[in-house]
Amino acid sequence: MIRIEDVGKRFGEGENLFEALKSITLEVEEGECVILSGISGSGKSTLLSLIAALDRPSSGKIVVEGELVSKLPDLHASAYRAKTIGVIFQHFNLIESLSVEENVIVPLINSGLDMPAIRKMAEQSMQRASILHKASQDVASLSGGEKQRCAIARALVHDPKVILCDEPTANLDRENSLRFIETIQKLHQAGKTIVVATHDPLFEALPFESRVIHMADGMIGKHGE
Amino acid sequence: MLSRSPFLYFLTLLLFKQKSKHLGIMSISVVMIALVSAVLFISSSLQKTLQDTLDEQADFTVTRIEAGRPVSTPLAWVDKIIEIEGVSEVAPRIHGRYFYAPGEESFLVVGIDFFDEQGSKALQSLLKGIDLKQFFAEESMIVGEGVKDFLQKHYYKDTFSFKTPRGEFKKVKIDEVLPGSLNLLANDMIIMPIGLAREIFGLKEDEVTDITFNVPNDAEWDNVIGKLHLVDYEIRVVEKREVEKAYENLYNYKGGIFLILYIIALLTLMLILYQRYAMVYSHERKEIGILRAVGWSIRDILKLKFYETLILVISSFVIGTVAAYGYVFVLGAPVLIEIFLGGANLENQVQLIPEVSFGTLGSLFLLYAVPFFAAVLIPSWRVAVIPPKEAMR
Repeated sequence: MIRIEDVGKRFGEGENLFEALKSITLEVEEGECVILSGISGSGKSTLLSLIAALDRPSSGKIVVEGELVSKLPDLHASAYRAKTIGVIFQHFNLIESLSVEENVIVPLINSGLDMPAIRKMAEQSMQRASILHKASQDVASLSGGEKQRCAIARALVHDPKVILCDEPTANLDRENSLRFIETIQKLHQAGKTIVVATHDPLFEALPFESRVIHMADGMIGKHGE
Repeated sequence: MLSRSPFLYFLTLLLFKQKSKHLGIMSISVVMIALVSAVLFISSSLQKTLQDTLDEQADFTVTRIEAGRPVSTPLAWVDKIIEIEGVSEVAPRIHGRYFYAPGEESFLVVGIDFFDEQGSKALQSLLKGIDLKQFFAEESMIVGEGVKDFLQKHYYKDTFSFKTPRGEFKKVKIDEVLPGSLNLLANDMIIMPIGLAREIFGLKEDEVTDITFNVPNDAEWDNVIGKLHLVDYEIRVVEKREVEKAYENLYNYKGGIFLILYIIALLTLMLILYQRYAMVYSHERKEIGILRAVGWSIRDILKLKFYETLILVISSFVIGTVAAYGYVFVLGAPVLIEIFLGGANLENQVQLIPEVSFGTLGSLFLLYAVPFFAAVLIPSWRVAVIPPKEAMR
């Protein structure tokens, strides 16, 4: 379960002060799929990065799976990212010089598991993301859709409870976007809590139960109501 | 082990997969380390050879001076010096430079007699394995390699004609050539019987160029110097320790110039490295951001960068020093040796004896490794502490 209470995020100061999020309150139930929709600059990606503890809110609090993530020190925030959540980024954020399998194992390097166990988990995750056949191929030589699947495999490798997707179809064609939605559906069926930040209309009417939340000007609701 | 430890596996994976990123910095580092190590090896080898040579030299050398200029020394001083308390192994020498005008070069001529050879350890080491009976029986000379090469260039094969102060020519046979391993000391040296040397320098029977002796008790050195001035007012005393200091200063000075150049090169390299990690290399920033985003802590990032740098530093240092060792002690340090021996009289093919100062190498390693680590770890840390989202941008 994700609980967001009165969260604000400000950048800069004085005349350059910019409020990316204004007093956001939101709850996402365990196993729920929530779509944060809105145009660029509406604050959805910022909210996602706060849930992922990739940044800290300026005010308010965020609780994920009973853990207050908005105030975690670095070591705990890293452990939280490594165990509880899996993030899929718009630009994939893969290490281009490594192969698909090598990228997928990255989150598990400091997990305390040995290499055979890590390789087994990576294989399962690549299988799940339908990218196992490209395991030894360098990421740099993959298509956009394949990179996306590699990013999914990396996000799932440690079997997280929460999956966060930041504009996951922004760099994909329609066919690959539909394939991604299919993957999301499978993850939803598997009981994962999913939050997707997107402005892709394909997500407005998903073929499975989901909640669409509109964001604008750093607030929830079409006009910030 | 690599197949079991995920961290080691990932570390080697990054090093090999991103080798082009490291090769440039590593190549510059290897060249820098090789150059400085070569200078240190040459310097320490020459100092060792000279030290060994000086250890065999007499503690004191005295010469008579007139108006501050060295002139021939009376042989009678030998008896007076022997009488000074604490003095031993007093030996007269005929020893000086012979200038060969057509070739515009000079040789160091050393006249010895059989008893002198018995007394001087330095000469003993030079003349080891040479049949001295035959040498003393006829008017011949033993020459260093540089002298032999020079004479051959000027068409003197087995003999050389010295011009005496009276204007006569004295033809002397070349009996032996000293081995190349003695070149640092004896490259331009000619050793001949004392009588022959006296004739070439135009000295009388009761004259020598200088007198050498030892004073085994160091504490007595200053006393002995005082007493020497009672032998004759016109006396010049040269102590071995002064010669040692002069050589030490010379090589330290030349080595020091290289050290300054090294520090400048090192600072430049560190600046490049720092820039690469701090600003220019967005690749590096993004990679750190990705690792942070997927659950790596700041400590994990710094650990990875530390070990990555450690491998680079150690491997470039080892490659650099091994290359320098080969260059100096196997190839004989072509080009660089000329800087150290520049100003020598004849062209000198010095054989460098392997001598490695591990203390100096250790200092060099620290001087190289510490700024290298700082240039990588500080900017990496600065990137690691910013929000991962910002680093990945």
